[in-house]
Amino acid sequence: MGSRIVSFELCGREVEVLVSPMATLQSVLRSQLGYTGTKEGCRQGGCGSCTVLVDGEPMMSCLLPVEDVEGRRVTTIEGIAPVAGLAPIQQAFIEKNAFQCGYCTPGMVVLTKTLLDHHPSPSRDEIIDALGGNVCRCTGYAPIIEAIEAAAAGATTDAGRDAGDWPDPSGER
Amino acid sequence: MTVVEYFLPRSLAQAVDLLSRHGPDLLVIAGGTVAMPLINDGISLPRQVMGLRFVGLDEIEPSDGGLRIGATTTLTSLLRQRHVPMLAEAARRTASWSIRNMGTVGGNLFTPPPGGDVAVALLALDAEVTLEGSRGRRTLALSEFQTGFMTTALEPQELLTGIGVPAVAGETTYVKFGRKEANTPSVVTVAVRVARDGEVVTDARVALGAVGPHALRARKAEAVLVGSSLEPGAIDEAAEAAAEECEPFDDGIASAWYRRAMVRLFVRRALEELVQHVALEGR
Ligand SMILES: Cc1cc2nc3c(=O)[nH]c(=O)nc-3n(C[C@H](O)[C@H](O)[C@H](O)COP(=O)(O)OP(=O)(O)OC[C@H]3O[C@@H](n4cnc5c(N)ncnc54)[C@H](O)[C@@H]3O)c2cc1C
Ligand code: FES
Ligand code: FES
Repeated sequence: MGSRIVSFELCGREVEVLVSPMATLQSVLRSQLGYTGTKEGCRQGGCGSCTVLVDGEPMMSCLLPVEDVEGRRVTTIEGIAPVAGLAPIQQAFIEKNAFQCGYCTPGMVVLTKTLLDHHPSPSRDEIIDALGGNVCRCTGYAPIIEAIEAAAAGATTDAGRDAGDWPDPSGER
Repeated sequence: MTVVEYFLPRSLAQAVDLLSRHGPDLLVIAGGTVAMPLINDGISLPRQVMGLRFVGLDEIEPSDGGLRIGATTTLTSLLRQRHVPMLAEAARRTASWSIRNMGTVGGNLFTPPPGGDVAVALLALDAEVTLEGSRGRRTLALSEFQTGFMTTALEPQELLTGIGVPAVAGETTYVKFGRKEANTPSVVTVAVRVARDGEVVTDARVALGAVGPHALRARKAEAVLVGSSLEPGAIDEAAEAAAEECEPFDDGIASAWYRRAMVRLFVRRALEELVQHVALEGR
């Protein structure tokens, strides 16, 4: 009774974690496993900042009891980036100014990843449809849509370049 | 979080057994998209919870020209099926991609208004629900299953296991009106089904959502339509009847007054759309 061990695949790695009954995947990722890329906004399923992929399908981790992902494959924003550098989607978000505060960005990027896995060249309407559950209070969405279009078209300047090559806002490096 | 035990049965038999052993104190959840927000906010404080994600009731199968939908079928699976286009459309207009991957068709029948957008379409299709418990199995019309605001005919030891949709007789339209286009709570949802013999309507269903304690049939509007040829006068009269007989409420989305006005408008539009469809197909 009570706590139990749950094991699942997290970003390509097997994890085992002792959880209290019905802890949400979101809270286990953030507080127990140190995967803080998954954000916590509303905890109501209404903002999308906690979006993760379960067996490749987007879900709101704030509404998902962690026991329900036993034996399944979970991908968070930490699993989208290659070991070194950035994924093309991340690069596209930078180049199109698709974030300001960045709070919605992990959810947006995770969603984009699975959208492009399902539809390599989505129409603008399909992109808008896919984003329906992910709220951004900063950008007004247009740059996000453009970033997704750019990522789909492979139109980022230097996909996957090293993170150390980011433009440095201070101008000195 | 007050939960001390979370059960994840692997079969219907196990689920029914857990339910009869733990009684009404056991909170049942399927996709959790209605129950979890309440638990996260401390509005619902269950001690024992049973999740239905692994009981294996998530299949959609064609049956006698209609469909058999397992209770825990996700809204995404409903959207993807091609047998009953109105149900795909209802799923498409419900919530967002991630929520549709979690939320279930069965759960939608328990969702309080302004939710329940899939239930509205199912009501217009004369759907039946199957309930199973330690005392056996029974089948009920959806219109008898939903009994009030957040109340149903489900007995404490029973689970909703499936939804039966008969072969669709006639033409259908589905219209959901919210404050924005996507992922929006409904101001009013209208599902219409009309069967005709030549020009003359022989059977009609006008189902309304978000304007009553649960999905409602506008029976006076249906009576106006039967025997008509869906001429403009009949459509206006049916829309007026639906606006009169609905039971709208005030909430953060819309006032009761506005909801009633939108019932008049969207019942008319749904019927006009249906007439247009038929005219196009007949050409
Ligand atoms: C952001 C957001 C947007 C939404 N938008 C919409 C929308 O546009 N339209 C809409 O209609 N809904 C909407 N919803 C509500 C919800 O997602 C859907 O109604 C969904 O179909 C509910 O199903 P569920 O399985 O997740 O329900 P759950 O939360 O799992 O179940 C709710 C309750 O129903 C009962 N129950 C469920 N299944 C069974 C069963 N098989 N047997 C016995 N009892 C059962 C239990 O009492 C349970 O506690 C939204 C929700 C969120 C979070
Ligand atoms: S925190 Fe999960 S949807 Fe907002
Ligand atoms: S960048 Fe601030 S919420 Fe989207």
